[in-house]
Amino acid sequence: MNKRCFVQLAGLSIAHRILPNWLWARPTAPNHDDKRKVIIVTFGGGVRYSETFAPEGLRNIPALAALQPKGLFFKTCANSGVLSHFNSTASIVTGNWQRVDDFGFQPPASPTLFEYYRKQTGAGPTDAWAIATNKSFSSMGAGSHRDLGLPFGANVVLPKQLLLEAVGEVIRKKPEMGVASRENVLRQLEGILNEGYEGVGWTIFKAGRQLDQSVRNTLTRGLIEYIHGPESPTSGDELTFFITREVMREFGPRLILVNFWDMDVAHWGSYSLYLQAITRTDRLTGMLWEEVQSNPHYKDKTTFLVLPELGRDGDINASNGFLNHRSGDPSCRNVWLLALGAGIQPGQSDRPIQHVDVAATGAAALGARMREIAGTPIREILV
Amino acid sequence: MPPSPHPSSTIQALIEKGVFDRLPLTFSTYCFDQIKEWELLFEAERVYFERLFGLLGRSEQELVDELFAPLRAVEQKMGVTEKVFPKRVFTLDQVDFLNRSQYYPEWRRVVADIFSRLNPLLDEEIARAGRPRLVIVMCPAELPVGPDRMWMRFKKQGRMIRIDLGTSDDEDFLAKLLTGAKRRAQQKTLPELYAAQKATSPHDAWIVDAGGAVSALAVTSPSGLVKLSYEALQRYRTRLMTQVDQLLKTQDIRGPRQLGAKLKELRVLPTENEIASDPVLAEFVRSVLLSGNGTLLINNTFVEWATVQSVRRAKPSVAVVSFGVRNKIKPFSSLLIYTEQETTTPVPTQADALGSYVDLEMLNYYVWTEFEKYPEYRRNTVYYFVGEGMDEMLVLAPPDFPLLKAESPVSLTHLFEMARDWMQL
Repeated sequence: MNKRCFVQLAGLSIAHRILPNWLWARPTAPNHDDKRKVIIVTFGGGVRYSETFAPEGLRNIPALAALQPKGLFFKTCANSGVLSHFNSTASIVTGNWQRVDDFGFQPPASPTLFEYYRKQTGAGPTDAWAIATNKSFSSMGAGSHRDLGLPFGANVVLPKQLLLEAVGEVIRKKPEMGVASRENVLRQLEGILNEGYEGVGWTIFKAGRQLDQSVRNTLTRGLIEYIHGPESPTSGDELTFFITREVMREFGPRLILVNFWDMDVAHWGSYSLYLQAITRTDRLTGMLWEEVQSNPHYKDKTTFLVLPELGRDGDINASNGFLNHRSGDPSCRNVWLLALGAGIQPGQSDRPIQHVDVAATGAAALGARMREIAGTPIREILV
Repeated sequence: MPPSPHPSSTIQALIEKGVFDRLPLTFSTYCFDQIKEWELLFEAERVYFERLFGLLGRSEQELVDELFAPLRAVEQKMGVTEKVFPKRVFTLDQVDFLNRSQYYPEWRRVVADIFSRLNPLLDEEIARAGRPRLVIVMCPAELPVGPDRMWMRFKKQGRMIRIDLGTSDDEDFLAKLLTGAKRRAQQKTLPELYAAQKATSPHDAWIVDAGGAVSALAVTSPSGLVKLSYEALQRYRTRLMTQVDQLLKTQDIRGPRQLGAKLKELRVLPTENEIASDPVLAEFVRSVLLSGNGTLLINNTFVEWATVQSVRRAKPSVAVVSFGVRNKIKPFSSLLIYTEQETTTPVPTQADALGSYVDLEMLNYYVWTEFEKYPEYRRNTVYYFVGEGMDEMLVLAPPDFPLLKAESPVSLTHLFEMARDWMQL
């Protein structure tokens, strides 16, 4: 089986596992219409200006630096909310500053862009996705408003969790085998597939537990092929990229949130690992943009927004510089946004915008309108 | 019931006088939490709290009220009450409450303003009692760059000094720098000399070592000397990783808050490291290793964080900080923060010399800036930033330090002597 073949089969088989049974009563052809699509990519985990669009940081982001002249670059996109990962990204997708549990144990306190979009446009469940490396984002797809909520939420996929569980199992059961042995990991993945996806991240919608043996085998082979193949991943963000691309190819959704997160390795105190993660995220973001450009269902009709979830502490007078992101200093709060795609006039804007403006902008691009939100649509993007 | 602290008689008198009760809730609760385990505080911390609350206690109440009025106003907006902030109880719940408040940035600003008014008064006392201090920060020989690429972030603040390396100096570089003699002479290191002659507290001269080379040079154990080695803590680190991993797998721990309570119990054992006999140090190391950053996994993160914490808390007079080369991180190991990489993966461990260089450029800078944040060190401290085997070093020092005037290369022994003289040993 070649890779493309797997991709098609795997995508469909994934759908069986992550979508609710009721969905399958409806036709689920990929969304190949000509309507505007929105992809929001976050440099999750947090990154500072000094390692990205500051003059000394450009070398870490060659892909975005090359894309910047093609897009509209907002020099100041402020995160005025809680400087934790879940609250920051939840603010981006709800348009309101979120102040819920920092670790993802509560859903966003107000409805998300996903819900408004789906309810107001009648879009189906495969039309809105959140794909996140951060494994605490399982409830990022919907708030708990009684008129909206999960029935209108996004499919949330946590690709890293899949491998985490597998690796953990290998260690627990056969410590002598070693985590990096791909064969061991893959054998374990097969075991996990037999047990069902719920515990390994593909969980927001209750999927049916019955999985056809041939589909299970196909998916297992697909994972084996992916891990052994030329794109063999070494990090969670690479897996997130792979899943995002497959979702785009198989379902063609109009709304996707992609949360990269590897750069939060900065907490480990290794500046070089932090820089490597930034460069990897930059590369993957560039590859996603290439996918947009090469996929006829996205090319010339996609608004592609890239922004850091938050910054990180500054080097001076902060608790511990790049390691953390809680000081609230300008290095934590003031980041940037790069808008690419359909109809966007290239340039740079000095007009300060905020994280909460992203949801309003996405909604407007998709023909929806969010109610009672703090953010306002970024008019320069909606031309 | 909140734990009853057993602070000094000075603090106890201030508590009884009602000093804490007259302060805004968030401030007094936080401070009370800091002193509740008085017996686990370093001497410098105890002195700081006595001075801080002594100052507040002897100040006119009107002035204190005026100082804290903005904080009371913010607390009111935040909805701080004794229900959410029970007197003298400060846990992650209270941290969480503050973090999630929309007024948190304002709260931080107001607290910073309060300290910006208090600190000059406290700093003045410190500055008056200033005395010489010495900090030596060493990088490993394996770094793939020369001294011209070292300490780029702050070398303009000091002066590069050429070192006259003799033929046997490769082998005895550390020994000559720290003892003034070859290793086999087994002379005392600068921290040992200081601890034996001048230490003003049980934790006044520190060696923080990624490996064991520097620690091994210190052959005596005078009171006042602290030796921390990431390598020597391996048994404790391994046990911590195993136990945390087990906790996460076997117990219903929903998140960091619940985990934190369990981690408090994981103290170092006497069989694991000699610091177990010193409760203050044992708690210090536990907290450094379980702070949630990479101190368990990465030697240089441990060295940096332990140093930064020692500066904040213990204010050592002499510090020798020795970084190493960290290992490469194995694929997907970022998923396994509490798993011992050496034993769970067959991928051979490889040193990452280039990555270590990039890391140390930042960590050296952070170490220096941390020392310089405190009045104890400003204008009193000689800093040697040294690369093992390198023939140039960076010196930052008060203008009267003789080395700054050196015109020709200086031998390692002479560097030792100048540091020893600076500390009047």
